[in-house]
Amino acid sequence: MTLADYLPLALMGILAAGFVAVSLVASRLFSPNRPTPEKLAPYECGIIPETEATQRFPVKFYLVAMLFVIFDVEIVFLFAWATRWLELGWYGIAAAGLFTLFVLETLVYVWKRGALDWNVKTSGPLPA
Amino acid sequence: MQIDWLAIAPEIVVAVTILGVLAADLVLPRPLKYWTATLAVVGLTLAVVPLILMAASSVETRSLFEGSYVVDDFALVLKGLFLIAGYLVVLMSVSYIESDRYYQGEYYLLLLSSVLGSLVIASARDLIVLFIGVELTTGPLFMLAGWRKGDIRSNEASLKFFILGVLSTAILLWGMAMLYGVSGEVRFDQIRSALADPSPAAQPLVGLAILFVLVGFAFKVSAVPFHFWAPDTYEGAPTPVTAYLSVSSKAAGFVALFVTVYVALRDRVDIWGPGLWALAALSMTIGNLAALRQSNIVRLLAYSSIAQAGFMLVPFAAASVAGEQLAEGLAATVVYLVIYALMNLGAFAVVIQGARRTGTGDIDGWAGLGRIDPRLGVLAAVFFFSLAGIPPLAGWFAKFVMFRAAIAAGSAAATSLAVIAAINAVIALYYYARVAKVVWFDEAPAGAEPATEPPAASLALTLGIAAVATVVVGVFPAVFAVFGEATRVLLASG
Repeated sequence: MTLADYLPLALMGILAAGFVAVSLVASRLFSPNRPTPEKLAPYECGIIPETEATQRFPVKFYLVAMLFVIFDVEIVFLFAWATRWLELGWYGIAAAGLFTLFVLETLVYVWKRGALDWNVKTSGPLPA
Repeated sequence: MQIDWLAIAPEIVVAVTILGVLAADLVLPRPLKYWTATLAVVGLTLAVVPLILMAASSVETRSLFEGSYVVDDFALVLKGLFLIAGYLVVLMSVSYIESDRYYQGEYYLLLLSSVLGSLVIASARDLIVLFIGVELTTGPLFMLAGWRKGDIRSNEASLKFFILGVLSTAILLWGMAMLYGVSGEVRFDQIRSALADPSPAAQPLVGLAILFVLVGFAFKVSAVPFHFWAPDTYEGAPTPVTAYLSVSSKAAGFVALFVTVYVALRDRVDIWGPGLWALAALSMTIGNLAALRQSNIVRLLAYSSIAQAGFMLVPFAAASVAGEQLAEGLAATVVYLVIYALMNLGAFAVVIQGARRTGTGDIDGWAGLGRIDPRLGVLAAVFFFSLAGIPPLAGWFAKFVMFRAAIAAGSAAATSLAVIAAINAVIALYYYARVAKVVWFDEAPAGAEPATEPPAASLALTLGIAAVATVVVGVFPAVFAVFGEATRVLLASG
């Protein structure tokens, strides 16, 4: 082996570090620095924030959103089969059916375990 | 489409078991939840049957899906290892998971998913299949590491593992993307022929791609300097999960490494050989030196497993850096891996039972355990001395084949690696022997009474299987050498 084989890795490191350094220095050198109170606000969008963003909110939003993404992505796989279902014949139908079975069992599981119930009593106070 | 159903029967059985466990978890009332564990054990046992049928059949290599999925003797040996290790971990988990109010069904579901992923890795001969296998193996483990939701250490374990695991996946994927970019192929044999003669302009990219893939897998096998997640994750995760992480998950990383570098990248051994040499030398030395100073038994085993990963890399790295005896090196590493799996699972079963007896994970807290519970004390000595490589326990044969392969490779770099390994084997003896010393020679705390209640039946079975295997392999190593020989088929082509 020669050390030259590892040269690309060193070059890559130098490039990565160089990009960060150049961007930081350039923005420091070339950008005008005129702070105003509005610009220094956490969200510079014209609306004055009234409360902190770090407050508690019901975890079920998160749960439902995550489940939606999972099932949405799983269903996407069926599109690939649906465009060619005639050519794939019974083999394709069996495969898609098996796949659907897996997804459906997961859905039933999630449902029966109560992950989709919206009106669950949560312990602790909720934000007003 | 023609499919060899027998070839994928183990995967199908495990997948159906996963569905069964999920359904059983849903319908069973809480007192009957332990049936999910029974289902998992039955499923893993049934999955071994097609493996035995395939080993006995005259068909040497079964190639599916246009060569992306290959079941040969190499795959059979490692699938057997994954199934048996999964089986022992499930047995270990039963009493542990049941004693606290954890979600049992989901636990076995995730564990089986991880086993399924490692079965896929052993057969993957294609970048995409391999990546799916690697992710299926690691993904469930992020959740399992954080199983004790109320325990802040378990949360830390899960988070650290997750962040570094995702980082390593990103690097691995980047490397794979570059490999695909250079070769235009995803199947390993085609990548190999494409890389045999790349254009000079693509040469730097080839080097970068190979090193990135290497780094990605080095995270999975927790080799130094990519080991930082391991000690904290091992300590915080539930002990059976730690056992699984240090055995099956590590073995899966090794298998992924074997199939990638030996099938796809064999002609570029000049690039990854020295990389492996450095990983092996660093892992052994730093793992062993850090293990010397550990006071917690699980952290000790964590650093020990980092050091053992270094030992496992030795024959593999020595053969690669010398550029010859590759099959010799592969066989030695696989034999080491199989033996390590058995004795390390035994050591973790001892840790579970020992922590239950003494109520602590501190090594000093185990003083006099040999008098409180003589059988457990003997088992502790057996597994820890086996890890150190003392004959007649299995560990000596693992170390023996490792040194034999490293010296057979012959070049100066290979021999120097063998010397580093020899020094490290002596260092390792100190901390392994210290556990035995504390258990047998230190005074038991006042008021400690001999234990009367036996360990849970499933845990006793794990201890028994691991202990018998460790002693039998140590005394009759020839029965195990055949597994190493069988793996040569991976290098048979070309």
